[in-house]
Amino acid sequence: MASSAPPSIHHERPPFYRDVTVVKWAVQVLALMLTIGALWFLAKQAGDNLRASNVPTDYNFLSVNPGIDLSSGIDTDPDTGGRALWVGMVNTLRMAIAGIFVATIVGVLVGLARLSNNWLLRKLGTVFVETLRNVPLLVQILFYGAIFASLDRVSMDVGPINGWFHLSNKGLSMPRVHIADGFYQWMIVIGIGLFAANFLRKRRIAEQDLSGEETYPILSAFGLIVVIGILGWFVHPIFGFVGNIFSSLSSAVSAIPEGAVQVLIAFLSVGLSVYWIRGFLKSRRTPAGLAKLTDDDYFRMIFAATGGVLGAVFFLVLWPGLSSWIINSGSDLFEVLSNKFGNGRSGRPIDVALPEVVQIGKFPNYGPSGLNFSIGFAAVFFGVVFYTSAFIAEIVRGGILAVPKGQTEAAAALGLRRSIALRRVIIPQAARVMLPPLGNQYLNLTKNTSLAIAVGYSDIVQVGQTVYNQTGKTLPVVSIWMFFYLSCSLSISVVVNFFNVRMRIVER
Amino acid sequence: MQDANQGSVDPEFQQGIEDRESSPHEIPSLPVGQWLRQNLFSSWVNSVLTLFGGFLAFFALRGVLNFVFSENRQWDAVRTNLRALMTLSYPESQYIRVWVSLGFVAGLAGLSAGLWANWGGVSVKRVSTWLMGTGGLLAVCVIVREPSVILGSDGKVVRTLEGSLQRESFLDAMVNRSSWWIAAVVLLVAGIVLWRRFASATHRGSELPVTSVVFLGLGLAVLSLWIAPYGHYAFISETKSYVAESGRTVAFSTKLPWTVMLALLCSFFGLGRLLQRSEYGGLIKGASNLLWLVSPLTLFWVVLRDPALDYGHVISTDLPMGLAFGALGGAVLWSLTRTGVGEAGRLVATMLLGFAIFNWVAAFFGWYPMLQKARISFLLLAFAALLAPNFMGEIAKRRQLVLGWLGVTALVHYLATMINTPSTVEVQSSEFLGGLGLTLFVALIVVLLSFPLGVLLALGRTSKFPIFRMLSTSYIEVIRGVPLISVLIFFSVMVPLFLPDGMELAELAAVLTGYTLFSAAYLAENVRGGLQSITKGQYEAADAIGLTAAQRTSFIVLPQALTVSIPQLVGQVISTFKETSLLAIIGLFDFLRVANSVIPAQSEFLGVKREGILLVAIIYFFFNFTISKYSQRLERRVGLGER
Repeated sequence: MASSAPPSIHHERPPFYRDVTVVKWAVQVLALMLTIGALWFLAKQAGDNLRASNVPTDYNFLSVNPGIDLSSGIDTDPDTGGRALWVGMVNTLRMAIAGIFVATIVGVLVGLARLSNNWLLRKLGTVFVETLRNVPLLVQILFYGAIFASLDRVSMDVGPINGWFHLSNKGLSMPRVHIADGFYQWMIVIGIGLFAANFLRKRRIAEQDLSGEETYPILSAFGLIVVIGILGWFVHPIFGFVGNIFSSLSSAVSAIPEGAVQVLIAFLSVGLSVYWIRGFLKSRRTPAGLAKLTDDDYFRMIFAATGGVLGAVFFLVLWPGLSSWIINSGSDLFEVLSNKFGNGRSGRPIDVALPEVVQIGKFPNYGPSGLNFSIGFAAVFFGVVFYTSAFIAEIVRGGILAVPKGQTEAAAALGLRRSIALRRVIIPQAARVMLPPLGNQYLNLTKNTSLAIAVGYSDIVQVGQTVYNQTGKTLPVVSIWMFFYLSCSLSISVVVNFFNVRMRIVER
Repeated sequence: MQDANQGSVDPEFQQGIEDRESSPHEIPSLPVGQWLRQNLFSSWVNSVLTLFGGFLAFFALRGVLNFVFSENRQWDAVRTNLRALMTLSYPESQYIRVWVSLGFVAGLAGLSAGLWANWGGVSVKRVSTWLMGTGGLLAVCVIVREPSVILGSDGKVVRTLEGSLQRESFLDAMVNRSSWWIAAVVLLVAGIVLWRRFASATHRGSELPVTSVVFLGLGLAVLSLWIAPYGHYAFISETKSYVAESGRTVAFSTKLPWTVMLALLCSFFGLGRLLQRSEYGGLIKGASNLLWLVSPLTLFWVVLRDPALDYGHVISTDLPMGLAFGALGGAVLWSLTRTGVGEAGRLVATMLLGFAIFNWVAAFFGWYPMLQKARISFLLLAFAALLAPNFMGEIAKRRQLVLGWLGVTALVHYLATMINTPSTVEVQSSEFLGGLGLTLFVALIVVLLSFPLGVLLALGRTSKFPIFRMLSTSYIEVIRGVPLISVLIFFSVMVPLFLPDGMELAELAAVLTGYTLFSAAYLAENVRGGLQSITKGQYEAADAIGLTAAQRTSFIVLPQALTVSIPQLVGQVISTFKETSLLAIIGLFDFLRVANSVIPAQSEFLGVKREGILLVAIIYFFFNFTISKYSQRLERRVGLGER
């Protein structure tokens, strides 16, 4: 070999087993195959074992009466397994939403107390946070549950305010504000009101920017909604015709042929991957033409294309039941909506019912009219609220301390009042730091409601466990849990991301 | 569920927080009146807040005290079941094993504390403030607590004709609580004396060593076991009855072991201090660290189980196998670290790895029999061979690798032999330990096992290899999206389904697997945070001095990334420990379950739950609070947030 060409050494290809690209992809494909192989092996094993023990893995139990009673929920005696799990989901969501709401308020208050000038409040906040976050949630829930269980027995004259508030070992019972007949029509009025209020707010802001005078945009928009809401209280029955629209939509949906939906889904799957690949190629384009694609880029495109085609095959061939399910449930949905809006629903939108104690049989118990919280609910609720609020307090404190002192000083130098400086300068900047960990805490709270199983509150995990104890269908129930919790996580992160993007510093 | 935020406040804010918090303490010379005005009554809003806080504090404190001292509390339930809470039903005759294990840990703790004796001091001022604060709080508690219920001569509560309880008058209550008053006054006086003696201008900033304060506290606690009449309580499992004799000191079988523990702690601390200055200090430090890593397994599986060794089998099979692996493996590694080995070394290592993985696949399908020990050894040898290029060159480095291999082989074979032999200790539940022992065991094992897995997942998620990235990301996100309890239920119920015929896994092992896999996903996210904080320059510099990818990762990237993520990792340890409480739900007898279901089922204490759960809460709090405070100290020591 000629010694006069040292640069050519760099262009000489190494043997294939030392070629970076080859080794990289060989290792990865091997790993992927190993993973898939292991999963396949486990699935096959589970299938064999299940067949051997005569417990086929199917979802038929969803439409069979499970014969179970639930301790609380929208339907305590569900007639199908699917309905039972649905009640569990609603209970979980109810707990999670109520918990997030209250935990945020308590957490913000405690966080502010920890930053207060007042020595006593500061110390109280510290004790609150350090105690509650260092004791496991389950221990707290069991402790609260044990305390509630030792309250007095329920009787006909149970206190503290008989007829309004009842507190006993059956839980708490209080007046219930509930949706009545005309609610859905009234919501249409409110929707129109929101639209109008937003318009008014924008106009007021524009006016204020122009003239410099205070026009109270938020206040006036809020006032408009209230006025329209009160008006709507009386005029809402005129929207009864919406029910007819929904019922004709329902029959229109059920007239769609199944094949069309099937083809549409498959087409969507392929179309999505083609769209992604086109976008990807566009992003790799430079002014000088298409940039050189790396092996990673090829991998991504091949992956997207394979995914699209596999999805199409899956929907067209392997899962034909999906389209009929979509059509049926779509039609059902519109049917339900048309009932909700039906003509003749001219009652009040919202009503209040007082709680009562009734005696059927030997022992008195709470009647269904009031808003009843079982002991289990109360234990889990207080548990997740206190536990999460301790973490939220730390996040709030950290977020506010993260705003540089110069910002406060600058606001003061501009002559802003302390309240305005807090609202317009400090909190917007602190919120940016606080939001991601806050979203994480909301997620944790949602997942933590699963500890309800320890005190017998019927959340999705507890109901699921009861169902699989009755039917033996462990694997399907676990898959439903996973699906439910993953969708909850996904929705919370979508919401948090939405605000995160909105609050991001706009950079040049 | 996982709340790794315990330590995850950005270190920089943390510093800021501490600066601002400590500022009030820096001006203690303020007169009381001025301090009050500045901190509690600076404006009318502030005064209202103070009043509000005062009411809140008053009612909270009163509520807690009345709960604890209520005539309805049955603290006997906890006192007689203390041993059950710690170890469930470990046989009385074998209990010495528990003490031996604890003694080993105490000695090791003392040794390490002595070896790393850089504990610094705590200022006298702080100690005296702490004493005065405790004394004052005690006095406030004595006043705030509701007067007790009058007990009749038969020891039962006395009720009036209307049926309400009769309480003693406030003055009587204050007089009857004289012993509490004495304790409060003693603490206050001790604090004031210390303050007067040392906080004057000449002694400003004088400090007491932390260790002596801790040892003094522990010594006083142990001394009180011999003197104070805590009462003699025990649950006798044979007759299902219990002994409760108040007015005595605790049982001899309790106070003697604890005294021995303290003696061990102190003497090994002294030993550590002596050795620290000797020339072998570094070596002993390394050895003590290794012992910490190994001791949990050794104690739990060897001391607490007492394997009945079959010496014939040991001599005919186990010993020769261990020796063979040690010698042959050592020889292979020795030859692989020669300088001229080059490509051939890598080839041999890869082939070894392939063979080791094939062995495991074969085990799954049952193609040919082989001792599990041998399969593990082959896998370890393959990893050691992959590491060999890093130890190439000088004799000393080569010797390091071979010695390390010999140590690992000895340990693995010893443990495997011990675990495989049946135990002679018969325990009622399926686990050899229950109660707090089980909780600590699970927490330790999960932390130890999930660490390497989590680091691997984090590396996978940040890797340049798209398929690895995809696999790790989807694994991490799916696991993080579901609650731990569903994972644990899945593993405790479903694992038998996934195993091939003839393979079995104890429930504890199944749960440990699930918990480790769960914990690793969270740990991976914490490590990823650290990995992302490593600047590009570090990678480029590593490449520039010619390190391989493995060397770059293990010597440049990971050490820095792990240091940065210490607060999050400690937070992760705390949440792992807290979530061991979920074992109670899936049917393992951890100490929460003992408090929640075992004690309330005893005929003497039917339905007595709250006392036991409160004790469990206090124990969890003690551990977690200590760990988080220690981690803050550690953060300051490694200088996080100061760069």
